Formats: sequence, C-alpha cells, structure tokens
Amino acid sequence: MGIGEYLALGSILFGIGATGFLTRRNVLIQLMSIEIMLNAVNVVFVAFNRFMPSNHMGQVFAFFVIAVAAAEAAVGLAIVIAFFRLKKTVVTDAGDSLRN
Amino acid sequence: MLDLIIRFSPLVLVLVGAAAVMLADAFSDKGQSNDLSTVTFWAFVGASGGAIGLWVQGDTMALHPLVAPFLAADPMALLLDAVIAGAGAITALLAGAYLREHQMERGEYYVVMLLAAFGAMVLVHSTHLLSVFVGLETMSLGVYSLAAFRRTSPRSVEGAMKYFLLGSFAAALLLFGMALLYGATGEMELAAIATALVEGSAHNTLALLGTALITAGLAFKVGAVPFHMWSPDVYEGAATSVTAFMAVVVKVAAFTVWVRIAVVALSAANLADPFSGWPPLVMGLAVASMLVGNLSALVQTNVKRMLAYSSIAHAGYIMVGFVAYAHSAAGGDEGAGDQALSAMLLYLASYAASSLLVFGSLIWAGSKGKEVVSYEDLKGLGRRHPWIGVAMMVGALSLMGFPPTAGFIGKYYLFQSAVNVGDGLIPLVIFAVLASAVGAFYYLKLIVVMYMEDQEQEAAQAVPMRSVHLWAAIGLAAYFVFRIGIAPGNYMEIAIGAARAL
Repeated sequence: MGIGEYLALGSILFGIGATGFLTRRNVLIQLMSIEIMLNAVNVVFVAFNRFMPSNHMGQVFAFFVIAVAAAEAAVGLAIVIAFFRLKKTVVTDAGDSLRN
Repeated sequence: MLDLIIRFSPLVLVLVGAAAVMLADAFSDKGQSNDLSTVTFWAFVGASGGAIGLWVQGDTMALHPLVAPFLAADPMALLLDAVIAGAGAITALLAGAYLREHQMERGEYYVVMLLAAFGAMVLVHSTHLLSVFVGLETMSLGVYSLAAFRRTSPRSVEGAMKYFLLGSFAAALLLFGMALLYGATGEMELAAIATALVEGSAHNTLALLGTALITAGLAFKVGAVPFHMWSPDVYEGAATSVTAFMAVVVKVAAFTVWVRIAVVALSAANLADPFSGWPPLVMGLAVASMLVGNLSALVQTNVKRMLAYSSIAHAGYIMVGFVAYAHSAAGGDEGAGDQALSAMLLYLASYAASSLLVFGSLIWAGSKGKEVVSYEDLKGLGRRHPWIGVAMMVGALSLMGFPPTAGFIGKYYLFQSAVNVGDGLIPLVIFAVLASAVGAFYYLKLIVVMYMEDQEQEAAQAVPMRSVHLWAAIGLAAYFVFRIGIAPGNYMEIAIGAARAL
C-alpha cells in the first residue's frame, strides 16, 4: 500500500468521527467519536512517518496523542458524571439552561 | 541541568508552587482555614519575577540539544510568561476572595489553576508541534475542570461540558492539521517546517489543508467567530474567578502560540500570501468576530455573557494584527511587520489587565447569597458603592479603548500598525474602528446603569464583599491599566524587542 491509501483511511476515519460528533446527541457517543478522530490522526502520523523516516517524530507524536487522549477521557468522563448526577441523563439536549 | 532550570525558572516555579499547594492542602486539618490563594499568588509572582529577571539578563546561549527543538526561551516567551504569571497572580487573589466568600474553597482549585497556567506557559515557549499540542492540552484540561468546579451547579457543569466537547473536537481538528503539515514537510519543528516550505520540497495541497485546519483549531481556542459558540455559555456558567482566568490566560496563550506558528512555521510565500494563503482566512475570522461579537454583546442582559461576546470582539481586533503582519511581510517591510506583532502582544497585555479589573469588580459587588450577574443587579451600584463603581468604570472604559487607559494604547498601536502597512488595509481598519464604536455602546450602558438608574426593590440589592485579597487584586489590575495607559513607552520597547527576536 502507498501513502495515498493510508491517508484515505485516516481521512475516512476522521470523517466518520466528525460526523458522529456533529450528529449524535449522546455525550458518550460523542466522546467515542472524538476518540475515533484522534486515532485517525494517529494512523496518518504513523503512515507519514513510515514513508518519510528522516526522524521518528510521527510515531512519537502518536504515543503522545494516545496518552493525552486518555487524560482527556478522564476529565471528560468526570464532567459527564457530574452532568448525569444533576440531569439524570447523558443527552446533550438536556443542557439547555444557558441561553441567549 | 541547572542551566535549564534557570532558563525555564518561570515554568519551574509554577510547578513547584503547584506541588507546594498540593502538599499544604493534603497535610492541613480539615476545616482549618489556610491561605492557599496566597501561596499560589507568591508562586505566580515568583514566576513573573523569574521571567523579568531572565529578560533583563538577556541570555541568548543555545539551549541543551534535548530541549532546544521543543522549547525556546526567547524574549517573546519571557514577556508572555510575565503576562500569564501576572494574570495568574491576580486571579489567584480573586479566587481567594470569591471562593471563600461563596464557601466553595477547596485546595485542588489552586493546584489545577497553577497546572493550567503551566500548560499556558509551555505553550508560549513551544517551537515544535509536539510541545504545542502537549501545552495546549495541559492548559485546556485544567481549564475544563476549573469550568466544572462548581459541580453542584447545573450551569457550571453544562458550560464545562459544552466547552469540553467542542474543545476536544477543535483539538482533533488541530491535530489533523498538524499531521497534514508533518506529511507535507516531514518536519515538526516550526523553523524546519518553514525551511521545507520555502525550499519548495513540501507538498503544497497538504500544506494548505494543514494550515487551514490548524487555523481553525487555534481560532476555536481564542474564541473567534464561527468557533465561538462555547464561550458565552462557559463564561456565564463558570464561577466568576474561573471566568476571569479563562478569559485572560487562555486567550493570551492561544494567541501567542498562534503568532509563533504563523510567523515562524507558516511564513512561506505561498501560505502567507495576503490574498490566497491564511491571511484572507484570518481576515474573514476577524471581520466575523468583530461583527458578531459586538452585535451580540449589545443585546445581552447578563454581564458575564456580555463580557464573553466582548472578548470575542477583542479577538477580532487582535486578528487585525495578523493581517497587517502578513501584508507587511509580503511587501518585504520587516519593521512594519514587527510593529504589528508587538502591537498584538501589547494589546494582549492591556486586554488582560482591563478584563481582570472588570471581573474583579463584578466579584467585589456580590457576596454570599447574591452575586452580581445582570444589568439589573448593577443598577445604582455606582452611587451606593462609589469605589466599586469607579473600578468597574475604569475597567469598562479600558475595554472600550478610552484614554488614558491600557485599552486605548492597545487599540491605538494595533490600528496604527495596520494603517502603516499601506492603503490596502484601510477599509479593514475603518471597519474595526466602527466595530469598537458599537462596542462603546454596551460598555457605556454598563456605566449608565451603574450611575443613572435605580433598582426597584431595595431588598434585591447585592451586598459587596469585604476581602483584602480582592482589594489587592483590584489594585494590581488598576495599576497595570493606568501604567500601560499613561506610560506605555518601555512596554512598547519590550514588545518590539520580542517581535524582532522572533
């Protein structure tokens, strides 16, 4: 496979994640969509690194993305739990107390 | 090793402060009041002092090769370290007053605040896509948790959730942009990216796409239209001391890293072309932000929401600097480019001081049981409590850009730098001036409500809080508002030096 195929895979995954994030109303599914987007980025990073092995920053970056995604999920789930305790639901439509 | 600790002493001091606050909180007895906000304040003051000391010393020795690709210790980073740490110090005092008054003081607030400020400082030092990403996330994760700090309040948690979801989405866009830029150039160090782009060895389409995505991600962080939807909700929902921190530190750090990326990495002629690269994109963002920010701020009834829209408008004014820089760089006029960048840095500092003063006055006017959040609450405040009225008025006038305050100097230099570039930018400057004239309307409304209207029921009046921390914070913010406003000369020189060294 050439770089084009990997780039296509990464872009499709990113698109799926973005579509999921923008269309779903369940916070947990939105969190999963964000994870898909981050992993799509990882695919792209590692693929570019494979075809341009001048340094290994692409792979290193992928590890950092994985670590940061874990931290992000921790903070995100904590906020979702706080939200669930107050609203008894994880649907984003329930968050409507702040309006213009 | 010791050399590195000294060169990065502002960051190290903030980290040491976080560790000290964590330990002090863990080993203190429950219920015993201990003054963590003062510890935090001194950690930030130390960091600010460290940055100023390093700037005075002007050490330009090369950094250790393990650190050099990732972080720089150049004048711009040190200047913004001082601004961030100074703003952190003032917000630490505000938090000490606000959280204690409203009985939600917990030690972790200060730890998270220090660590978020650490992330912001990493961001202003970063010269590599990896450190940009890590710094940005360190800052953002801290700010997400601070926004949700009032976790029993539905508004606070809801605002934090919106911020978190949209922020993570924006981070993913930014990351994808970084991946494409890496694919286009094979490099991640900002200077090396620029070299690859200039030499023409880079893949043009990938580089353009990457630039667009990175610009979108950064525009989200600074709250530019159309990536601004989160900011009014978070500003309104979060505790006011958090709003102040968020409005100032996040915006300053995100704009600084944007300056560095745009100037160092994306300076190649095809990307920074005034008519086809990122400059027209940023100009669109600037115009949209000024328009939407100012018009939406007009119709708000909640003062925190109004300030959120006004901060969107301010992001628009600052982005005029980017356009001015790009035009002068394309014209080969380096002096005008440096002037535009330094005007942006000065604007950030003056915006920080004026916002802190306004948020501080809002905190001051309320106390346990009744916070001041709407224009209704502010009615007659200026006559009942003259000092609060004066502080709020000075802050509002400075945000509006009225001499002799910091806001005037910031706007003046920024618009002047855009005019100096040439006739091409005059329509944009006229638009920006008209937009700030619209802005004057809602800032003046704040003042009119305070002095010329009366509240209907006496019972609903908010009682101001009394706290030495708060008075100290207001005093510091007011000092900088007037210091930058009356004698901006040496701040201007520092900012120009920082822009030149970039």
